[in-house]
Amino acid sequence: MNLQNLSIKGKLMLITMLTSSAALVLSSASFLIYDLISFRHLLTLDLMTQAQIIGYNSAAAMAFRDEAAATATLSALTAKEDIVAAVLYSPDGTIFAHYFPNGAGHPSTLPGRSQENGYRFEGGYLEVFRDVTLNGERVGTLFLQSDQRQWSVRARRYSAIVGIFVLISGLFALLVSSQLQRLISRPILHLENAMRMVSTNKNYEVRATRFYSDEIGRLIDGFNTMLSEIQHRDTALQRANDELKTRTGELEGEITHRKRTQEELLKAKHAAEDASRAKSAFLANMSHELRTPLNAIIGYSEMLEEETRDSGKLENQQDLRKIQSAGKHLLSLINDVLDLSKIEAGKMGLHLETFDVSLMVEEMVTTLQPAIAKNTNNVRVRLPDDVSMMRADATKVRQILFNLMSNACKFTDHGTISLDVSQSAMEGQEWIRFRVKDTGIGISAKQQGKLFQEFSQADATISRKYGGTGLGLAISHRFVQMMKGRIGVESQPGQGSTFTVYLPAQVTLDTAEAAQSEGAGAAAAGSSQHKPELDTILVIDDDPAVRDLMSRFLTKLGFRAVAAASAEEGLRLAREVSPLVITLDVIMPECDGWTVLRKLKSDPHLAQIPVIMVTVVDNQPMGFDLGASNYLIKPVDRDRLAVLIEKYRLARSSSASEAKVYSRPAASREERRPIEAEVSRRT
Amino acid sequence: MPIFVPRDKAIMRLLRPIIAMGICLSMALGASAQALDSSDSSEYLIKAGFIYNFAKLVGWPQGAFAQPDSPIVIGILGTDPFGGIIDRVLADKQIDARHFVIKRLKWGMDLKGCDILFIGSSEAVHLEEVLHALKGLPVLTIGETPGFARRGCIINLIVEDNKVRFEVNLDAAKQADLNISSRLLALARIIPQSAADVR
Repeated sequence: MNLQNLSIKGKLMLITMLTSSAALVLSSASFLIYDLISFRHLLTLDLMTQAQIIGYNSAAAMAFRDEAAATATLSALTAKEDIVAAVLYSPDGTIFAHYFPNGAGHPSTLPGRSQENGYRFEGGYLEVFRDVTLNGERVGTLFLQSDQRQWSVRARRYSAIVGIFVLISGLFALLVSSQLQRLISRPILHLENAMRMVSTNKNYEVRATRFYSDEIGRLIDGFNTMLSEIQHRDTALQRANDELKTRTGELEGEITHRKRTQEELLKAKHAAEDASRAKSAFLANMSHELRTPLNAIIGYSEMLEEETRDSGKLENQQDLRKIQSAGKHLLSLINDVLDLSKIEAGKMGLHLETFDVSLMVEEMVTTLQPAIAKNTNNVRVRLPDDVSMMRADATKVRQILFNLMSNACKFTDHGTISLDVSQSAMEGQEWIRFRVKDTGIGISAKQQGKLFQEFSQADATISRKYGGTGLGLAISHRFVQMMKGRIGVESQPGQGSTFTVYLPAQVTLDTAEAAQSEGAGAAAAGSSQHKPELDTILVIDDDPAVRDLMSRFLTKLGFRAVAAASAEEGLRLAREVSPLVITLDVIMPECDGWTVLRKLKSDPHLAQIPVIMVTVVDNQPMGFDLGASNYLIKPVDRDRLAVLIEKYRLARSSSASEAKVYSRPAASREERRPIEAEVSRRT
Repeated sequence: MPIFVPRDKAIMRLLRPIIAMGICLSMALGASAQALDSSDSSEYLIKAGFIYNFAKLVGWPQGAFAQPDSPIVIGILGTDPFGGIIDRVLADKQIDARHFVIKRLKWGMDLKGCDILFIGSSEAVHLEEVLHALKGLPVLTIGETPGFARRGCIINLIVEDNKVRFEVNLDAAKQADLNISSRLLALARIIPQSAADVR
């Protein structure tokens, strides 16, 4: 049994028993030992006294050689049971007389000779030697041997008594301790019981009774205090729990509410997105719907203006020009709005190409001439030779510069507008800086903060006075950002403004998409000097106004225009006339432009003919993918169209390898819109 | 000095007198015992030792000795049976501070200076007269003739079974004012005074 796992009661009793028994046994043993030692001493003294008496009594007998008398004297020891041998030695050491009570002669332990006075314990016997003297003269030696029977009997008896005593007292101690241990074990057992009740029943209202004010009493007090504390906390916990439950319920309600709200919000978001999509679709439709009549207005007004100019009706020419100008302005506004909505929708991509900065600037300034002339401003362009090629979205760079420059012209009267282009290295990169400086009305610091935000002209009155949508700078800002460049303004009211644009000399794309074709340098934008031959141009468009305008325009340029109103007719004519170039509209009844383009490109005889898409549909990639050579958005910039067609005519006449010339990369540069903020129609 | 170690009870019995004599001699002579003259003289060697032991166990009355170291005078009356033995035995002995002085005496000489008087067998006829002469005097009379004790000699040595024993006449001792130790008496054969000799 493991002592350590004994119950407290058992332990206490064991301790008491062991302690008392040990003490008892030890004290009894020491007493016994002491008694036995002193008893032995007594026995020794007794034996020595005996020896003295015997010696005295036998001295005369020895002196007178009376053996019988000596033996008789020794025989007196019969009464002493423990004496096993008594011998008288003559002075010379021989045995004179002896006495052996058991009568069996010499015990083996008998010393052969007499020895010095004294006693010794030898082989379990106590032996005494004593000189026998007569009047101080030694007449012999007495030897007594005791078997210590008395001593061992006593020892045995004592041990038995002690044993019995220990047994009895042990029983007594058991009895007493079994009663007394309750003093200690009872409160502990009670405490244990109380604890069990607490732990099994979770009943914290139980209290242990305190019996005495000893340590256990204090323990019980502590236990009770602890219990009340626990009870207190338990109650508090319960309360907190309840509260938590309530709160959780509330929270759940809240969550449900929020979820509902979220769903509603989501619904609202979807609705908003739908609305936004609807808006975009509306805008796209609107742009189409707006551009189609504008196309006609601008086109016919241009035609009329030219005709009136030719016929010298100058008064009408002035009015026609106003119509033309208002139409163009309206177109630019629509384009701005559409651009911005595309930027907002994230549908505006970059079309990277490498181009000559000087050519672009030159072209841009040329197209800006009417605006420059309007307020009689003076334009200075500074363009060092080291700034040449740049890789960026040329259309957007041009549009940025055009916006800045036209703004400068618009807000400057009789002043000087300077464009300063330079190239420098910054932050481990080559940058091209365009700085447009004017001497105009300037912009206040407060206005500068809102300058690049949409629909915010510096002042509401400005739009009334100067016109414009206020979108130009916002669009420019977005474009600069798209090309990872920077745009900034320094200005003081009345002191003129300076706009600075930094663009990387090599703009890179974040994603692999976007860039499709790269312009192979500067294509000649200037007009060619060759004599026009009657090359055929096939115009496929369902809109009679477009067919009419295009035919007239092309005829003017010196081409033979053949118009087709439907896809079938277009395809048939293409086979019949083998045109130099085909212009193709997309939105047509029955069979759309994409199908026509696909059919054209799949026909081996027709595949070589360049196709210029002329449409309101803004899906340039689709056109290029299907094999279109160019993509123009209606209303068509007739100058651009002229340049393009002229190029094809030139290429056909001068080069034998037509396929190379007509390849799309070579042509892509031509899609830039010269004056009206033309945007690369790319998604 | 030869030591006999008895091996057999028969031998033991045979040798006992000789052993006894040897022991006695050694007792008498002590550690410085000298070699025996002859086997004839061994009896007297023992007797001389007895006389020495008697002197130890007999108390003389006060005033018997003039000085604490006054010698004990032993007179040998009649024919000397000791030869020189007794002189040799007692030569170095002393009791308390007293040495022994031995005188050879003849019948008719003054006996009063003696403390112990050995009366030889030759003086048997004069015994009563000798004793009468010593009457009232603290003189230990010792004889070696049968009947001496009964006749008034205080101690009489006898030989029984080849062993020297002695008789004591207590009345005589009382008359001589001598105190004989009970230890001595325990070994002695007590002889009563004959009625005829009571004076």
